Amino acid sequence: MSILMLITLGLMVLTGCVSTEDKLSIVVVGRDSASGTREFFWEHVMKKENFTSNILEKNSNGAVHQTVSMTKGAIGYIGLGYLDKKVKALKINGVEPTVDNVISGAYPISRNLNMFTNGEPTGVALEFLKYIDSDEGQKIVREEGFVPKTSTGPYIKVEGLSGSINVAGSTTVLPIASKAAEAFNQLYEGNLVTVTGGGSSVGVQSVGEGSADIGMASRELKSSEIERYPNLVKHVVCSDGIAVIVHPDNKYVDDLTLDQLKEIYKGTYTKWDEIKQ
Amino acid sequence: MSSSTTKQGLFNFLGVRFKEGIIKTVFFIAAILGIVIIFSMLFFLLKEAYPLPVDIWRFISDSVWSPTESLRFGAYPLIIGTLLVTLGAMVIAIPLSIGSAVFISEIASNRVRSIIKPVIELLAGIPSVVYGFFGLIILTTWIKDIFGVSTGESWLAGSIILGVMAIPTITTVAEDAIKAVPREYKEGSLALGANRWQTISKVVLPSALSGITAAIILGIGRAVGETMAVLMVCGNAPIIPNPPWNVFSPIRTLTSTLGIETAEVPLGSAHYHALFGLAALLLVITLLINLTAVYILRRLQKKHHADQYKKRNIIPVDIQFKLKKITTSFILTLTLILLYLITGFVVTITLSILALLIFYLRKKISTKKIEMIAFSTITMCILIVTMIIGVILAYIIINGAGSLTWEFLTQPSKNLGREGGVSTALLGTLYLVAGAIAIALPVGVGAAVYLTEYTRENTLTKIIRTAADLLNGTPSIVFGLFGFAFFVLYLGFGFSLIAGQITLAFMIIPTIFRTTEEALQSIPPGIREGSYALGATRWQTIKRVVLPPATPGIITGAILSIGRAAGETAPIMFTAVTFSAFLPSSVFEPVNALPYHLYIIATNVPGERAQAVGSGTALVLLMLVIGLYLVAIMIRNHYQKTMRW
Repeated sequence: MSILMLITLGLMVLTGCVSTEDKLSIVVVGRDSASGTREFFWEHVMKKENFTSNILEKNSNGAVHQTVSMTKGAIGYIGLGYLDKKVKALKINGVEPTVDNVISGAYPISRNLNMFTNGEPTGVALEFLKYIDSDEGQKIVREEGFVPKTSTGPYIKVEGLSGSINVAGSTTVLPIASKAAEAFNQLYEGNLVTVTGGGSSVGVQSVGEGSADIGMASRELKSSEIERYPNLVKHVVCSDGIAVIVHPDNKYVDDLTLDQLKEIYKGTYTKWDEIKQ
Repeated sequence: MSSSTTKQGLFNFLGVRFKEGIIKTVFFIAAILGIVIIFSMLFFLLKEAYPLPVDIWRFISDSVWSPTESLRFGAYPLIIGTLLVTLGAMVIAIPLSIGSAVFISEIASNRVRSIIKPVIELLAGIPSVVYGFFGLIILTTWIKDIFGVSTGESWLAGSIILGVMAIPTITTVAEDAIKAVPREYKEGSLALGANRWQTISKVVLPSALSGITAAIILGIGRAVGETMAVLMVCGNAPIIPNPPWNVFSPIRTLTSTLGIETAEVPLGSAHYHALFGLAALLLVITLLINLTAVYILRRLQKKHHADQYKKRNIIPVDIQFKLKKITTSFILTLTLILLYLITGFVVTITLSILALLIFYLRKKISTKKIEMIAFSTITMCILIVTMIIGVILAYIIINGAGSLTWEFLTQPSKNLGREGGVSTALLGTLYLVAGAIAIALPVGVGAAVYLTEYTRENTLTKIIRTAADLLNGTPSIVFGLFGFAFFVLYLGFGFSLIAGQITLAFMIIPTIFRTTEEALQSIPPGIREGSYALGATRWQTIKRVVLPPATPGIITGAILSIGRAAGETAPIMFTAVTFSAFLPSSVFEPVNALPYHLYIIATNVPGERAQAVGSGTALVLLMLVIGLYLVAIMIRNHYQKTMRW
């Protein structure tokens, strides 16, 4: 029996030796179907057309980054904050993906990151949201590589603030919220804010059901959620530019038009040399 | 005087009866719990799956999974993906594990055994997130470079990782089964002049077959249920490999679909119901696998016992012989054609000639040579397994040692884990595991005691055992989803320590139950009869005579469970965790845990520094598990030395 299995194993291995391709194939990497980033990409880049079925699906920015940095023919999309030297960010329509270009509106692929409260916020929740909107909060946003919005000036500490809140939801917003909570708690010398992950939907659900005071989401509310929790109030935390990345050794492209990007993700191109610069 | 003594005696007698009754009831409840869990799990998954966005037949047969764009909910490619990845994993794990088990129990000297056995158990303690990163960074790169494919994230990568992860489970249980074969069997065989290999292959392995089958079931359970590692290395394209034997194709399993999509899906949407539908489907698939395994096991046992009464052959012997010939040649031709299609002409011819050579030489080689070949193959197995462990450990230690300082262990994390340490995550993991064990150990041991000591085989015990097997084969991510649906939403615990503890406990109960049962069954009945003959009650017998020698076995089960609980991410991801560096002040608050901390740092915190800290966290997690294992192994060895009958 074990001999049979070894033979099968041998077969599995041999299968791969059959065809080795000369030209660099495009390996399309994307996010999972439930991801807010993917939904945004689908609406604004794909214009609601279908992705190729060969797409490698990753459940986080870090995982997309990791795969692209290790795979010569790969292309992927991640939040601006995740860019580093291990991957090459492509210009889109000739515009580089930088924080400034997102702020000026020249870079075409960006979206808002949101927090939600059930009704207008009060107490600690209100102060925490104020803190995020302040100079200090938006500085954290910039440090984490996200795109800050115009801040409301320095944060003014209020006296006698007490109570504690729970912030839950999107793992994309989590870094900002955690770091803001760390600083906020230090300022007030107590554990006023606890931050939990879970994902955008968990965020919306837990704030809607009352198990969290603030919900985080990297997407807008769906119609089903608005129906279920009509009292949710949206607070925009910041923007997030979405960069298109390839392996640093990729010599074929530096710049893509939105149309070319769409065709790549549709699976029209399969080899890098088919793309005309 | 004498009458009062009688009265006293009667009173004592009644008291004892009463006590015995209560104890029996307690054990009975523990035993029933498994059934309750499995049914409530199915109920809550189905409850959340209702209404499915498409009808069931379409859900299973549609070949497109595109829940947000084309709104097609086809589980078919995911089911195929799960089956293919598991199949590949078993092709790798079964020969290596059984080889290792045979080596440990039959070939190795005591000294070698005392080193190799814990080393293989350590393999079980490496958390799936760490496997995932190792797989993603090292294994996929190797596959890509060696075979010249465009990406290494593939079916093959998933199967290799899952195979490695299943090895300790299969090896440990198979080894226990081989060890439980009575010594007289072996002695009898050797006395008749059979050599050691003949004894192993013809006497020991067949006698241990049911235990080995159980080991393989457990291994399949581990492979089917694995989420985090698989979703990191398989590429997750929801397609069926084309051609269907293309091991370099990316592939998507049911578990990884749940793992990557559940967290972000809007509650109550069509996609949400479809995901819970997938979870229910996973449960049903594990049910089918387990039922098949149970059926095979029963048939093998029957065959074993049926030797005394002659089997009546309906088909005459010569026709049977011809039938066998026809089947063999048919299978051979099929294999050849497949081989030709897959590999081409040259390889087919070479392999066929090799196979023919082996076939004809087999009869000419002396039994001594065969023994030698068999033993060296087995030794090869153990070498491969140790090498795998070595590579993984070396990778983690080399990359993680840099960030490992005293501050790293004692400071809470700062700046998203880039600074400070992992103290809160470390303590959080300890809280979770301690709670889970505190709940699961009494239940698992109680159920096993009830089944082996209080009842004979009947329909109820069969159902309880099946429930335990089903629970064991249930993917950890399904426990996570159940915990989310039941504790977090239905009972309103929210993300909390208690929800995570109970979810983890549910997950490890079957492991403890199974190993305890195995340990209890290996105790000779004569010892119990001796105790009863001396007038001891059932509970006294269990407490004083049965449980002490079974303790090493129970501890083995607890070791495996602790390793599993400490390293799991999937069950706590939707029930208990927070990334914040606080410790909970009550069980209703969330905690951070090492595997989750590692997962978030590695996937959600950008920057070089984060990767280094991630490796450091992996190392801490590993050291924690190894520490726990070493303590447990020392306890076990101590017992093994003192308990002999």
